[in-house]
Amino acid sequence: MSLSLLLCPKCNGALTETVFNRTELTPCPVCATPLQVEVFPALFRSVSAGRDGEAALIETESTCFYHPQKKAHLPCEGCGRFLCALCDCELHGKHYCPACLEIGKTKRKIKSLETERTLYDSLALSLAVVPLVIFYLTFVTAPAALYIAVRYWNAPRSIVHRSKIRLVLAIIFASLQIVGWGIAIYFIVAKRHG
Amino acid sequence: MAEKEYVRLTRAKPRARFAVISSGSSSLWLGKDHLLCIDTTGYTENYKRFYFRDIQAFLIRKTDRYKWWGIVTAVMAAGCLFAAALSGEIVIKYILGIMGVVFALVFLINLALGPSCVCQLRTAVQIEELPSLSSLRKWRKTLERVRPLIVAAQGVLTPEEISTRVRQGSAIETIPASGSRNPTTSPVEDPNTPPRII
Repeated sequence: MSLSLLLCPKCNGALTETVFNRTELTPCPVCATPLQVEVFPALFRSVSAGRDGEAALIETESTCFYHPQKKAHLPCEGCGRFLCALCDCELHGKHYCPACLEIGKTKRKIKSLETERTLYDSLALSLAVVPLVIFYLTFVTAPAALYIAVRYWNAPRSIVHRSKIRLVLAIIFASLQIVGWGIAIYFIVAKRHG
Repeated sequence: MAEKEYVRLTRAKPRARFAVISSGSSSLWLGKDHLLCIDTTGYTENYKRFYFRDIQAFLIRKTDRYKWWGIVTAVMAAGCLFAAALSGEIVIKYILGIMGVVFALVFLINLALGPSCVCQLRTAVQIEELPSLSSLRKWRKTLERVRPLIVAAQGVLTPEEISTRVRQGSAIETIPASGSRNPTTSPVEDPNTPPRII
């Protein structure tokens, strides 16, 4: 009997190799839902067990910074600390210690570890445009939009290609609103003083 | 001009099934060695990377959404246009006529998009739904672009090889659940525990 590898997304029934890598939709052997399953060699690759650090045998032998009883395997490319095989984290061919990986993620030094970004350009543009519906709100939101656009001018935008057009538009709209408020206040004050 | 790091594969599609006005949306991008799934709320973006060497399978399930959208929009378009033709009031005639045209347009767009589907991507540790691959046509187009890259990273899998490997039982049967480590060993006592970052 063949081993079940994948489950049907609808009925959770085991899929057999008869539905794998077909050019057309094939019914699920259990629920007959039309499926197309594209499999790749990674499906059959066994997951290798994690490496253990090798114990240091001689007292003078270089040892891991985090595990003094383990033999040093290589230095971290971020901080230079000696690492055992257990502490060695490989990323795109480079070897880091867990602390450097953490710093790389939190300080956004390693781009491929980034999982979240705030889109300040969209935020500034929304603050500059959306409150126009209720005009009085722009008294507060226009300076806020201008502040965000200027403060985060150099902040990373979306990870995919994006220009600064949103920030430019936000600055233009917010500036026009602030100028508008300035003129309005000037006329009100001028009218009161005769 | 600098080369773009990511190439768009699909436009953003809402993650929630019945999202109409505002909800998170998801799009798919092609990177040098990975697929990038971007979930955005408008003001934040969350990234998920699927490296070509790690992708185990794509599972596509055809859905009835295409059929039902077609039926509902066709009935609504026909109903509105029929009512508009019968109505004597010019204002009502115009309103119903415009509604009928809008429904007819939605019907035609749905027809042009083709049959709908749900796409799942599987790696050794996760099964991720890709909402932006919601039509079979788009999925096939995407697969044509992605398959050569995955094959370049992993190698070719022939049908005979699939049968052999499945029978050998060399595959991982289930995705390992998180937290399934040996509970008898205390992490403090275990010399193989990775360092903790405080």
